Amino acid sequence: MFELLANGIAGMFELKYLVPLFIGTLVGVVGGALPGITITMTVIVVLPFTFGLEPLQGLTCMIGVYVGGETGGLITSCLLGIPGKPSAVATTFDGFPMARNGEPGRALWIGIWSSIFGGLLGAIVLVAATGPLAELALRFGPWEYFALFILALSMVAGLVESSLIKGLLSGALGCVVTVLGNDPVMGQPRLTLGIGWLEGGVPFLPVLIGVFAFAQIMGDVERMKLSSKGLAAVTAGVNLAVSHARVLWDIFSRPVLLLWSTFIGLMIGVLPAIGGSAANMLAYDQAKKFSSRPEKFGTGIPEGIIASEASNNANVAGSLVTIMAFGIPGDAVTAVMLGALTIHGIQSGPLFISQNAPLAYGMFAAYILAHPLVLILLFLGVRWVLRVVIIPKSILYPVVLVLCVVGAYALGNTMATVYVLLASGVLGYAMVKSGFPLAPFILGVILGDQIEVNLVRSLMTDANLWLFVTRPISALLLAMALASIGLSLWQHRRMQKKSAVAEGAADF
Amino acid sequence: MLAASLFLFALTLGLKDNPLVPIGPGFYPRIVLGISAVFALALVISDLFQKPQEKKKESLNYFLVVQMFAVFGLYCGALPYLGFRIATLLYLGVSNAILEPPRGAKGWARVAAVAIVTTVIVYYAFEHYLTVLLPRGRWTDF
Repeated sequence: MFELLANGIAGMFELKYLVPLFIGTLVGVVGGALPGITITMTVIVVLPFTFGLEPLQGLTCMIGVYVGGETGGLITSCLLGIPGKPSAVATTFDGFPMARNGEPGRALWIGIWSSIFGGLLGAIVLVAATGPLAELALRFGPWEYFALFILALSMVAGLVESSLIKGLLSGALGCVVTVLGNDPVMGQPRLTLGIGWLEGGVPFLPVLIGVFAFAQIMGDVERMKLSSKGLAAVTAGVNLAVSHARVLWDIFSRPVLLLWSTFIGLMIGVLPAIGGSAANMLAYDQAKKFSSRPEKFGTGIPEGIIASEASNNANVAGSLVTIMAFGIPGDAVTAVMLGALTIHGIQSGPLFISQNAPLAYGMFAAYILAHPLVLILLFLGVRWVLRVVIIPKSILYPVVLVLCVVGAYALGNTMATVYVLLASGVLGYAMVKSGFPLAPFILGVILGDQIEVNLVRSLMTDANLWLFVTRPISALLLAMALASIGLSLWQHRRMQKKSAVAEGAADF
Repeated sequence: MLAASLFLFALTLGLKDNPLVPIGPGFYPRIVLGISAVFALALVISDLFQKPQEKKKESLNYFLVVQMFAVFGLYCGALPYLGFRIATLLYLGVSNAILEPPRGAKGWARVAAVAIVTTVIVYYAFEHYLTVLLPRGRWTDF
């Protein structure tokens, strides 16, 4: 393992990998720092540029975007009070007050260093756990895979805050998308609605790009008010000078906080399709609960920044564990990576590491090396990043949408995928406006085919349905899926009761 | 969603089973569509019995969203006829002008410059360096 990792790291220093990693990291930092541009959108924009590259070059670039984006998001959170991305929301709570209290450099660098340490601690788990987890998954038969995918879907649907039914329906709708076109077992046409190109099924990448890009961009277009000139005024003349020894002491004098936040980030990352936005909020909440001075949170203390930033970078490692060991995307960014793997004809899943060891360890190496690269980039150019932030959205959004079109078109050199992109964009925006969560939908689109293949395979091997509950791992996974839905039902009920009590109290 | 699920479910009933395999192509779609129909029905029922909640009134610019979707739809429709270069140039210019209406000649010059520079960069990056062939126009052959 260590030899493969050492080879991977050594290989990363070749220019053909180092350049994509550097460019990806740079684009990630900028994309992460731009308010309104999420890492998912940045990686979607980068995706078409990777089509012509070798698989490892493309994935290296995407990993750079991922790591760079998670760190870049804290820049605007700390200095402008505007989170660059959802996973940096909690950084704003203490980063911005600290900056307003006259310590913008300290706020910024506590965040950057915490991100680096959180990410690198996450790398240890990524390298150590992915292989054994994949080995465990290799023992799975179709019953276990089916149960695992059902668990993933139920967990994501159950974690939706607004409505459990909407979450479950969203996941089911994602699976519906996958039943259009030929059936994956015998290739027999079904539900093509007379549309010729639908026989090949709906490609998931244009769906993913359309749903996420449009939901995000149109959501921002509704509220286009913030002037870039205003941002320019705020970013001008900020003093970022800081003692790095003091910043490092701020972090290392709180080792338990750093480790616990990293652990939370990793665990949230491992859970399918949740992502850093939940990780940073949960880590912040935990830091506050276990703090000896919870009342100080929100006033500009280092603990809030450390918790948020260590967790969201560790979350990246967790997401990579899930996709590399099980082929299940940990979040939207890894879902795009899954698409990139598919384009290059690489099968994700438990066999990924054993069949593509140099690629897998190259990805580990890229993840590790992206952290010092981020550090170097921000040492040299944090002020430059602040200037890029003032690019007007009126220019940025149309350009992003053009790159989405190019990405969709390049998948098969056909306009059909562009129309899928457009339809998915409308659907994604409509879903968001109607309160439907996107994560279960996307997971349904990605896993729908696999659920079908494994269900059919299991029934063709043995038609006995009891095997799903008598095989121990399958039974355990299905029980966890049921427990996840039960737990979320209980939580929803409790929240409803609480809000009813609050309303009643307000009446009096 | 309920109507769509039921419609597609009805279509699966017409799918013929393959004599070579015991499970036909309609087996899984029926399960998925049945489940989505049940969830959709449950949502309709829960909405009927739920107390109407007062939503915070937020002034959102939906007209701008509709315009952006319309322009993007036209762009997608025009791509095979005008070709990538002309359609993208027009799309970038129009959408930029909709999102931030230009003021005076300087504003229009900025819109034009952004549209031209972006189109040229994207076209050359993909066609010449990344070997991605972008759509040619049936009408323009460009």
